[in-house]
Amino acid sequence: MKLANRLGLLGMVVACFSLNINGYAQTVVITQVNLHSQNDDGYRFDDHSTTSVVVKDGQIVAIGSDVQFPAGAQVLSGKGLVMTPGLFAAYSQLGLDEINLEASTIDSMLDDTGYGPAFDVQYAINDESVVIDVTRVEGVTHAIVAPRVGPDPLAGFGAAISLSSPSTLLQPRVAMFGQVGSNIATKVGGSRAEVIARLRRGLEDLRGFRATRYQAEPKQYSRYDMIALKQTVDNKLPFVITVHRANEIRQVLSLAQQHDLNLVVRGGTEAWKVADELAQAGVAVILDPLNNLPRSFDRLGARNDNATLLVQAGVKIAIVVSDSHNIRLLRQHAGNAVAHGLDWDVALRAITRTPVEIFGLDDSLGKIAVGGPATFVLWQGDPLEVTTWPTQVMLDGEWVDPRSRQVRLFERYRDLSTATQR
Amino acid sequence: MALSLLLSLLVAQAESRQPYESTYEPMAVVDFVITGANVYTGSGEFFENTDVVVREGRIAAVGGSSDELSMVGLSMDGLRRVDGSDMWLSPGIIDVHSHLGTYPSPYISSTQDGNEMTSPNTAKVWVEHSVWPQDPQFDLALAGGVTTLQILPGSGNLFGGRGVTLKNVPARTVQQMKFPGAKHSLKMACGENPKRVYGGKSQAPSTRMGNVAGYREAWAKAQAYQRKWAAYREDDSKPQPDRDLGLETLVGVLEGEIIVHNHCYRADEMAYMIDIAQEFGYRIGTFHHAIEAYKVADLLAQEGICSAMWADWWGVKLELFDGVQQNIALVHQAKACAIVHSDSALGIQRLNQEASKALTSARRMGMNISKAEAMQWITLNAANALGVGEETGSIEVGKAADIVLWDDDPFSVYAHAQKVFIDGHLYYDKQDTTRQPRSDFELGQTVGGRR
Repeated sequence: MKLANRLGLLGMVVACFSLNINGYAQTVVITQVNLHSQNDDGYRFDDHSTTSVVVKDGQIVAIGSDVQFPAGAQVLSGKGLVMTPGLFAAYSQLGLDEINLEASTIDSMLDDTGYGPAFDVQYAINDESVVIDVTRVEGVTHAIVAPRVGPDPLAGFGAAISLSSPSTLLQPRVAMFGQVGSNIATKVGGSRAEVIARLRRGLEDLRGFRATRYQAEPKQYSRYDMIALKQTVDNKLPFVITVHRANEIRQVLSLAQQHDLNLVVRGGTEAWKVADELAQAGVAVILDPLNNLPRSFDRLGARNDNATLLVQAGVKIAIVVSDSHNIRLLRQHAGNAVAHGLDWDVALRAITRTPVEIFGLDDSLGKIAVGGPATFVLWQGDPLEVTTWPTQVMLDGEWVDPRSRQVRLFERYRDLSTATQR
Repeated sequence: MALSLLLSLLVAQAESRQPYESTYEPMAVVDFVITGANVYTGSGEFFENTDVVVREGRIAAVGGSSDELSMVGLSMDGLRRVDGSDMWLSPGIIDVHSHLGTYPSPYISSTQDGNEMTSPNTAKVWVEHSVWPQDPQFDLALAGGVTTLQILPGSGNLFGGRGVTLKNVPARTVQQMKFPGAKHSLKMACGENPKRVYGGKSQAPSTRMGNVAGYREAWAKAQAYQRKWAAYREDDSKPQPDRDLGLETLVGVLEGEIIVHNHCYRADEMAYMIDIAQEFGYRIGTFHHAIEAYKVADLLAQEGICSAMWADWWGVKLELFDGVQQNIALVHQAKACAIVHSDSALGIQRLNQEASKALTSARRMGMNISKAEAMQWITLNAANALGVGEETGSIEVGKAADIVLWDDDPFSVYAHAQKVFIDGHLYYDKQDTTRQPRSDFELGQTVGGRR
């Protein structure tokens, strides 16, 4: 090869980055693109419709086959390209955790003494994390950032972020996170029953709770934990509980009904067994569709088509990746869910629009609609395939620099005869 | 009379078998032809609409007209036919780095049998004695097209012990899974793991230089042990030296009987591991995980060392921080031996997708690699790294019929293995639940990702 090819490719990369050089939002028209707006406006992959999308001042200002091109607009042919909203990770530790085994870079967790609902990760989010950089170039533009579940059934508040810098924090205290199951049982004396009992006591203590008069007894939550819990329940914030075993999902469902919680199940390995109950209660499930291993006695019912069975029963799902360094694999995970029976559109929605709905975020997110932010990805084929890649990513009207740290390493070492120059 | 004859036969058979040897027996198979499939040979080629004939469990013909078949004594008449039209055929997938059976599902305290972290040198342990054949994960890997896999001890120690190559067949004993004739391997580990495990206990090694001193001391002892036994063999009037199981393993490496599989992330570490091998006169077979292989791909090509890599896993430790998605492609481009491995009970189920992502990342950067070449990363290159490349890893005449029939191009996320054959026997059929092995653990419980 193909030096010409290489130069051509580099040229392309430089060209699209240079558009962004002043940091100003672009005026761009993308023509003839295969649009999946997630706006329920009829633009779908499978009907092969193509359309134009006009971006100005950071917003989508027009969509249609017969739009006006603003003066001075950069015109990009979208022919053969697929456009989707930026991908949305409904669970991650992006910006919190840099290197798992380096404690100094891990801010998603506290030691055994500190956990509880008052923990709030928003203050630690690092918009310059390399993990964010590596994830963004792959078309992921938004994420929920959550505390890792720890020794208390409740781990604290998560936040919604945009993978932009420096304005990363989109909505702090977006949801309360927690866990039920054997992992927590070992921390509270050894029985799963005590995990549920703790949650029950905490929620019952909320009745009549007044911050100024509250004095915690042993085994009760601190005043700050109680304030956090109250805020969660009063504001009906998503109460995201990681739980896998069917009988425990039922326990959590019953708790949610009694205390009017906005329950969301995360993990949900055996959720397929209680799909009807979840659907009836309107409880969404955030799941990793690759988790088909009977990895523990919490998860003996693991199966490949959990997502499919849940959706068939009428449960809303978001698809996530368990490894926070590889959130970029969202689309591969969604593709695997499709390979095991999930409808393609539902799968794409589970990594774009559905997380916005589950977390009650600004309605303009997770879709491509006139008046909404210009945040989208252009793909050179089916975005759920492992044979495709994003050609360009736009976040709030600006092209994302495609040269992540990993790309720079690749460029440095692609020709080893020059690689020692640094 | 008949009984005593039978008994004596059994005794004879028992005597001919060495302890620990494989007791794997290929299943009796019928001959068949897969017709009209799109065939990835695993040796770098791709043929559309091609017939593949399997006779007595081996590949008897690939393509060719019926005249050509008759010249080698084959007739299509009477052969059982498997319709491969609009389907894809690949060699059985091979994973050179797995912990199935030793970190099984359920992954609980009583099943943690993969890493004997009680001394930085446990060259004496054999991982096959930790393998639980009833691990449901073997069956899930089979559904992903995996026909051969190497189980390695963990990487907490400088010398982790002997690894074993298995055929992915349902079995009651590990001996029934052992790949006949496959050499043992020696797992070694560079970097953060050994120094963290032992440094954390205030014992050696606690640094990378401590790691290297630990390897060199062990190899020096192995050479002395080798000399002692050589002297005894020359003059058996001398007292027989005591056996040392750990040093026996290391001497096995020095004598070329055991293949070194070296967990090593960083480029600079690979370079000094090569020096150590040179100092003591052994060969490194494969660097595992090899996150930074792309930085020294020229050196690896020159030394003939394979790299077993992930498509995109990175970041857990600082030594994995420089992961790039083109690692595999850059190693391949340097004409070094590139392998996609899993090290994961999830990843092993879709090594085809992992290879595909590695290829896609390369194409995205303008690198020109074909799917047929990329297929080598999970088949023939892996087989060669395990020393079983003469027997399996490609669809070539004479080789074992370890093959997978896919309903879509295996480079697609939507592809499923439909039929998985090992030595020509159909062990897995997606359309036939009676051909979907289930371990004892799964019985009566809703486990295994299927019901």
